[in-house]
Amino acid sequence: MASRTNSDRTGTVTFGFDWLSVALVLGGVLLLYYVVPMASLFLSVPAGDILARMTSPTVVDSATTSLLSASISTVVATLFGLPLAYWLARTDGAVTKGVLAVVVLPLVLPPTVGGIVLLTVFGPGSPLGEAAIAAGFPLTRSLAGVVLAQTFVASPFVVVTAKAAFESVDQTLEYASRSLGKSRLTTARHVTLPLAGSGILAGVTLAFARAIGEFGATMMMAYYPRTMPVQIWVAFIELGLDNAYPVAILLVLIAAAALLILNTVASNPWE
Amino acid sequence: MTLELSRLRKAYAQFGFGPVDLTVDDEVLAVLGPSGSGKTTLLSLIAGITSPGSGSIQLDGRELVGFPPEDRRVGMVFQEGALFPHMTTRENIAYAATASDRVDELATLLEVTDLLDRRPPTLSGGERQRVALARTLATDPDALLLDEPLSSLDTPIRKRLRDELHSLFESLDIPVLYVTHDQRTATALGDRIAIVRDGALEQVATPSAVLTRPKSRFVARFTGNENLFAGTVTDRTADEAMVQFGDVRVHTTAPNHSASAVTVCIHPSRVEVEAPDVADGDRTANTVTGTVARWLNEGSEYRVDIDIEAGSLALTANVRPPTFERLGLANGSEVHVLIPEESIHLIPDVE
Repeated sequence: MASRTNSDRTGTVTFGFDWLSVALVLGGVLLLYYVVPMASLFLSVPAGDILARMTSPTVVDSATTSLLSASISTVVATLFGLPLAYWLARTDGAVTKGVLAVVVLPLVLPPTVGGIVLLTVFGPGSPLGEAAIAAGFPLTRSLAGVVLAQTFVASPFVVVTAKAAFESVDQTLEYASRSLGKSRLTTARHVTLPLAGSGILAGVTLAFARAIGEFGATMMMAYYPRTMPVQIWVAFIELGLDNAYPVAILLVLIAAAALLILNTVASNPWE
Repeated sequence: MTLELSRLRKAYAQFGFGPVDLTVDDEVLAVLGPSGSGKTTLLSLIAGITSPGSGSIQLDGRELVGFPPEDRRVGMVFQEGALFPHMTTRENIAYAATASDRVDELATLLEVTDLLDRRPPTLSGGERQRVALARTLATDPDALLLDEPLSSLDTPIRKRLRDELHSLFESLDIPVLYVTHDQRTATALGDRIAIVRDGALEQVATPSAVLTRPKSRFVARFTGNENLFAGTVTDRTADEAMVQFGDVRVHTTAPNHSASAVTVCIHPSRVEVEAPDVADGDRTANTVTGTVARWLNEGSEYRVDIDIEAGSLALTANVRPPTFERLGLANGSEVHVLIPEESIHLIPDVE
């Protein structure tokens, strides 16, 4: 029996496939599919040319709009998302499942549909939209419109990721803190939040990355002021591919920065 | 300080707790029971982690039910310590401390001064429990609850910490509830022991009473009392009676109940094993003959199973090593077994 096992083993090495190598080859194709276009983007325009065009008013304006709106959206999403995430993490039952499904809905909904949904509530034809316009604070074709669209699409990242982060904090630690005479709020500030911190930061980073890249819902809600994705679209349609490169490169750099944050200070939710 | 629970109840889907009535003075009450019996529920109710369905909990005359954990002045030491992993030992204790000089005072008391700058993940199990205890004491609680603090520790450390806890508890003038599933820890630390079964208190008494006069077969079995036999009480007078079990008939003090069907309970540590060469005339009424069926060296004592009166009963005796060696016991050894009448405890059979 022993000798047979030996010959089987030798046979595998000599004549058989190493399936791990096959997996690596197949995976390698996919990896190239990610990396080659990215490299191609950076190589397709001379660096000096790109730098010159970075300072053009359209690029600067769209970058300002995007950074400002995405920052506001992320703050709003965090402000409202963290309490919901905490509630979801500390409650069980059918209601919790239902609420979670509602939270995930914007993630699976096509963004353009999200935009339409938002327009029915905030659009110029809706009572709320009309009232806002009358008050001089239009909710579409404005920074507010951009923020509304981005928050809708990006906030679930905060809720879902922070929920997992809160769940990873042993509830016994919260009970321990409270039995030491500390209120719920003190406990949240000194025990729960610090321990869930890196997970929450991951959710916030993801939300920011999603918000700054938001296109579909933003197009529907606020074509103006132009965010970077909208600016890429406009430049591509009106002036051709070459003119879309500078903003696209900016967005790639921002995405890379988000990845860097996820892999250093935040806890990468996919690891 | 007195902790008083009355008609305390809590219903779960699979499990009902209570009603429990219990008064704990400035003493250590060891709460002993199998896992799932409701020991932790009892502590959670007192600490305010769970709220009862009904009933009241009073500490020093102050009602606790309805108040959040932070307003109860009840300290709780959790099973694995529940130290905050992102804080150093010093920060953990200081987080709870009512005054800053308490940190060093308690660190000295619990011998954790060397650990003050370390974080909990780098501490051993025993060190963690010391710090957890220091942290809880830093709040100057009016009652102290401990949930199996020693259960995850190795035997030598557990024994050492148990001894230290014993003297520490004596210096505290507050009610202490110590939950454990280990009978030795319960008898070593408890001024009284409460046996919990299926969410109710089966017996609350001193350690020796629980060991030698268990209220039920459950208490007897859970406290290591292996000698339980179905018996019948006969010839009952005002202060004495005979009890028959198997082919054995022994003399005992009269039971304080009128049942004739009883469970005879004889703690293995109260049974005396003697050499068979004692003349028959010297035999008292409660000496029976038997043969050693098997024995086990349990370290500090031998556990000897003896077939009594030609195998009609299997009695277990704890024998101290000097006696075991003097008698030269081995499988098949003939022995005389003395059952002192005060050690024969009768549990009335219910139903």
